[in-house]
Amino acid sequence: MTRVRVLLALAGAAVAVGLWLALTAPPDALQGEYSRLLGIHPPAMWLAFLAFGVTAFGSIMWLIKKTNRWDRLAAASVEIGVIFTAIGLFTGMVWGQAVWGSPWDWQDPRLMSTAVMFFVYLGYIALRNAIDDPQVRARRSAILGAIAVVQVPLVYFSVNLFRTLHQTQSIRPDGSTMPDEMLVAMLVNMAAFTLLYIALMAARLDVASAEADAPPESAVAGDAVRPPRLSEVEDV
Amino acid sequence: MSDTVVVAGTFLISYGLILAYTVYLHIRRKRAES
Repeated sequence: MTRVRVLLALAGAAVAVGLWLALTAPPDALQGEYSRLLGIHPPAMWLAFLAFGVTAFGSIMWLIKKTNRWDRLAAASVEIGVIFTAIGLFTGMVWGQAVWGSPWDWQDPRLMSTAVMFFVYLGYIALRNAIDDPQVRARRSAILGAIAVVQVPLVYFSVNLFRTLHQTQSIRPDGSTMPDEMLVAMLVNMAAFTLLYIALMAARLDVASAEADAPPESAVAGDAVRPPRLSEVEDV
Repeated sequence: MSDTVVVAGTFLISYGLILAYTVYLHIRRKRAES
């Protein structure tokens, strides 16, 4: 628990530094104050990609090793990935409203592929909650977790593969298209969010092991009711 | 609504969601331990 608190405190401090850099960077000449969203929108999506990548890794490892720790890792990472995808979508919609004049475009490949990815991983969480048997739950969610990750490169490269309102990547092999202050703010926030991911994962995995160690829930009405066994049925 | 307010509100809601998730994990852990 102390380890989780230290990690959360470190992540909180890193995020505060990132926020300060994002809020003090000079505003863009065209986008004005909205350019500050660079401090949260790309880092949130980076974290979502990282989280879903870890989920795929945990899922594949479960399929190979069949040990609970990999299932817990995959499940923990999905929750965090879904939250940060929601933040990425929300901040993107605010930015889109300001820059494109509309928060959403139903025909835009980047927006739609991100939304589909969000709902697929929400479905992953729903699937886990719908299955009581731990082995069946682990197997089915591992298969989904290993397959669903194909969406990550699809979302990332959608701006290169299709015509879209969304701009292409700002950081390319030949350099960056951003002023240094904005680039530094974005990169520091990406590092801070990575630390935040590690801290949230530690906290979430702690919850998973505490829940696994907890005694089974007390009996509820209906527990005592079971179907009759044929051997107990007497002919009358 | 001014741009500054919208951007500040966007940051606030986003960080608020992360904070809410952290609190949710804390509550879940306490419940599992009790």
